[in-house]
Amino acid sequence: MNGIVSFFSGPAYIALYTYREGIRKKVLIGFLVLSLLVIFGSSFISSFLDPSSETDIDLKLIKDICVTAISIFGVLITIYISASVVPGEVESKVIYTILSKPVRRIQYLLGKFLGAQMIIIVNLLLMGVLFFMALYLRQGVMPTLLLWSLLLTYFEFLIVSAFTFAFSCAATSPLVPTIGGLFIYITGNLTEYLKDVEHRAGQTGQALDKIIGDIASALHAILPNLQNFSIKMQIINGQPNDPPTDVLIPNLILYGLVYCLAGFACAYLVFWRKEV
Amino acid sequence: MSAIIKTQRLNKIYEGALRGQDVHALKDLNLEIPEGQIFGYLGPNGSGKTTTVKMLLGLIFPTSGSIEIMGSKSISSSTIKRNIGYLPEGAYYPDFLQGEEILAYYGRLYGLKGKDLKRRIDETLEMVGMQRARKRLLRGYSKGMRQRIGLAQALISDPSILILDEPTTGLDPIARKEIRDILLRLRTEGKTLLISSHELLEVEMICDRVGILFDGVMQTVGAIDELLIQRDMLIEVDGVTENIVSEVATYGVKLEDRIGTRSKFRMEASSSMYDVFELCKSKSLRILSVTPRRESLEELFVRVIGAAEAARR
Ligand SMILES: Nc1ncnc2c1ncn2[C@@H]1O[C@H](COP(=O)(O)OP(=O)(O)OP(=O)(O)O)[C@@H](O)[C@H]1O
Ligand SMILES: [Mg+2]
Repeated sequence: MNGIVSFFSGPAYIALYTYREGIRKKVLIGFLVLSLLVIFGSSFISSFLDPSSETDIDLKLIKDICVTAISIFGVLITIYISASVVPGEVESKVIYTILSKPVRRIQYLLGKFLGAQMIIIVNLLLMGVLFFMALYLRQGVMPTLLLWSLLLTYFEFLIVSAFTFAFSCAATSPLVPTIGGLFIYITGNLTEYLKDVEHRAGQTGQALDKIIGDIASALHAILPNLQNFSIKMQIINGQPNDPPTDVLIPNLILYGLVYCLAGFACAYLVFWRKEV
Repeated sequence: MSAIIKTQRLNKIYEGALRGQDVHALKDLNLEIPEGQIFGYLGPNGSGKTTTVKMLLGLIFPTSGSIEIMGSKSISSSTIKRNIGYLPEGAYYPDFLQGEEILAYYGRLYGLKGKDLKRRIDETLEMVGMQRARKRLLRGYSKGMRQRIGLAQALISDPSILILDEPTTGLDPIARKEIRDILLRLRTEGKTLLISSHELLEVEMICDRVGILFDGVMQTVGAIDELLIQRDMLIEVDGVTENIVSEVATYGVKLEDRIGTRSKFRMEASSSMYDVFELCKSKSLRILSVTPRRESLEELFVRVIGAAEAARR
């Protein structure tokens, strides 16, 4: 027990200070302000057009804009933070003073990763709360479905974050991991198409097509399917206080955690003997 | 005299992007640093001092060879690192924090907390003279202030081994003196210090042993008193006349300086010192001072590096 406490105390402090540092980053604040403006601003759409005649269509549009804004800005923040927490310290050489303390590399990575998650969660909550308020004020019912959506969105971000983090541990600057993170996010949302590619390539019987099909199938097997985490359609079309249908929350959480673990393991693999 | 830090045939090759771009930064380094002493690690730019230090701390890894600290080869274990304080070359710290927050952060990483932590923060800030700036953000610190806070963070856990990479660069003369005094005091407390430096005068003043590195090879290592050969004596006398000057010259003594009847003579340490004293006595010259002079560390450094450079050509 004592051993566990002392193992996690170092990472806890590193996470705390990572959070304190990260939360002041100008880029991050910029993303956050923008997203809040979009969410806040979208509520005026219908009132601009004609306040008295708010239609169902308007509401759907607003919901669509807000859900999209949260995932786009959220993932940008996720990628930016996950890509920069470690390279930032390598570049500034702050890492020398930390790794020379009684802190193992795994503890350092754990601290940095947890710190990044704290930042991501806080940002997601800020955006979510504003959207929640906007919907509540408009519809008069607690949009509990949104809370489920936020939870799932976080686990989607967790996967993106873990892989971006792994890229960042191999890189010397945040640029490459940022691109890597975007790649994971985009392809992770397109895995359905990969299935399609695999299926159609298999039909022609040509050698090249077969290779393409195999690649697509491999990617489909490896890459996380991030589409699973989206309940956007239900939010837009369904009742705000319905429970989520079509998704198994515990399974998705487990899915997210497994991918996160895999990403983190990759991060440690490249970092444990990295020369800093 | 047991070695608290020991390296055996330590090699470091930095691999370049292309073949032929590799840098062999350390070559078969055998370093032994005795406990309780101050070791001055010298060498021109790019000779491999920082490389050595970073390997001791597990920031980079040896290409071959071994490192032992406090008798243990697992130098990245927390037990060993708990005993080491490190000041990296050029000070880099999270600059959104206040001086004392940095110390609190780093102290906690050493496992300090509560009253102990607070006491150590106060003590180290006091030691490096940063009490007044403790609440200021590091962003607003001057170079010397950063260096001082860097020293404070190296000392925060009261470690028994201190590894300081160029501790006095960027400091004003008073601060240098203060830091020197701190280092000497740490030695009296039984701590072992490894100091890499270009400040030969300072090193000469405080170090017990020095090692001179050139191009990744240790050229000379030893106790400073043994390395600096005694060169000559300076004797200052009063009542000198023209006659005496020429007579003294026959003993192999050279006139260095003369103002009126006062003269300074330089004589080889090996030369017949007593003959000169006899002469002074017989001519009833008054001996004002006799100063043995040894080679300065700078002279040794220049000599050793000069020889190494010549050998390389
Ligand atoms: N990360 C690195 N990659 C490649 N070469 C390196 C790296 N770090 C150091 N070197 C090379 O290793 C050699 C030793 O460098 P090192 O920094 O250890 O020197 P130093 O003795 O500390 O010099 P200085 O007095 O300038 O601080 C140099 O030739 C340097 O160019
Ligand atoms: Mg150096």
